[in-house]
Amino acid sequence: MLPPIEDIEIDRIHGRDDKTRKSTRRDVDVDMNPMVDLAFLLLTFFMLATTFSKPQAMELLVPAKPDGQEAETETPVKESKTLSLVLHEDKIVWYRGITDPETFEIEYENGPLLALLRSVNTEVDGLVVLVKPLPESNAAGLVAVLDALNVSGVQRYALSEPSELDLETENAPVP
Amino acid sequence: MPKLRNIRKKPKLDMNPMVDMAFLLVSFFMMTTTFKAELPEELRIPPSSSEIKLPEKGLCTVTLGAGGTVYFSIDNKFERKRLLDAAGRQYGISFTEKQQQAFSLIGAFGVPAAELEAFLDARLENRPYEQSGIPLGENGELRQWILSARMINPRLRFAVNADAEAKYPEINEIIETFRDLNITRFNIVTDLKPIHAAAD
Repeated sequence: MLPPIEDIEIDRIHGRDDKTRKSTRRDVDVDMNPMVDLAFLLLTFFMLATTFSKPQAMELLVPAKPDGQEAETETPVKESKTLSLVLHEDKIVWYRGITDPETFEIEYENGPLLALLRSVNTEVDGLVVLVKPLPESNAAGLVAVLDALNVSGVQRYALSEPSELDLETENAPVP
Repeated sequence: MPKLRNIRKKPKLDMNPMVDMAFLLVSFFMMTTTFKAELPEELRIPPSSSEIKLPEKGLCTVTLGAGGTVYFSIDNKFERKRLLDAAGRQYGISFTEKQQQAFSLIGAFGVPAAELEAFLDARLENRPYEQSGIPLGENGELRQWILSARMINPRLRFAVNADAEAKYPEINEIIETFRDLNITRFNIVTDLKPIHAAAD
């Protein structure tokens, strides 16, 4: 049976009496540590995963393939105005002109290659550089040569197939 | 005499500014970050003094590993999904929803079309999969991938990302494929050369 309503002490039911009533309002204290931990974890993750240095690139223009109808029009170039660079695996063989040229060897290093291109470029007006990579040459060599060409200010250069002669220069005597 | 009160209180540090800072940085990094396209093999990019930046969006990259393995990637997730649809129609493969999902999350892939399903299944189950590379050549699949990618996004820019050790014949084949499709202007991904080396 329930007691008569006047006998029920409301304060007791609510678990408070005069002594505790004053201190019932307390500051709300939220423990933020886990949240902060998580924030820093995410921060570290994104800082490590992000890439600020976008990759650099080098632009390369290649001639379009000729259509079936129109014949391949090749602009004739004076022999004296050409410089050929035959890319070997670890060296570049270069020569001026095409018929019976004197061949020289040069390393892939940027300095001497750039010096060579600059000197030939100032010497010859309208120089055309033919880059002929052999099958054993690699991307690093190709990029190094293209880079030197871009820096040296040579206006015209092209990638082309090595000729029979270029393939033989492997055993050419070093001058 | 009144009772001595303990004057040593627990030190309290207001962490709110620090937390504000932390969240500010978190949101900044979350918004600006673009994840590196994951590649199945580590590449050594040849250095150059070129300072052109690769475009961030609308880029299609053909990657050539040191061993001559060819990988293909486009940067947009939605375009990747459409690319797989196109490939499915072309090669008569119907991909499941899950496989499509997996494909749209892949950075770069290097498998022949016939192996795509097996490759994606391996991906879904987190198994490693030996990628043999996309076949090159006159009527190779690389040509087809580029063609479909261009169909999806006509303004796509192209880049060749070759390892320093990659041999010229493969590079040449990629260049020839581009030329064949009338893509005469493209980028070669290079690394920035250290300044002292570029100076000479």
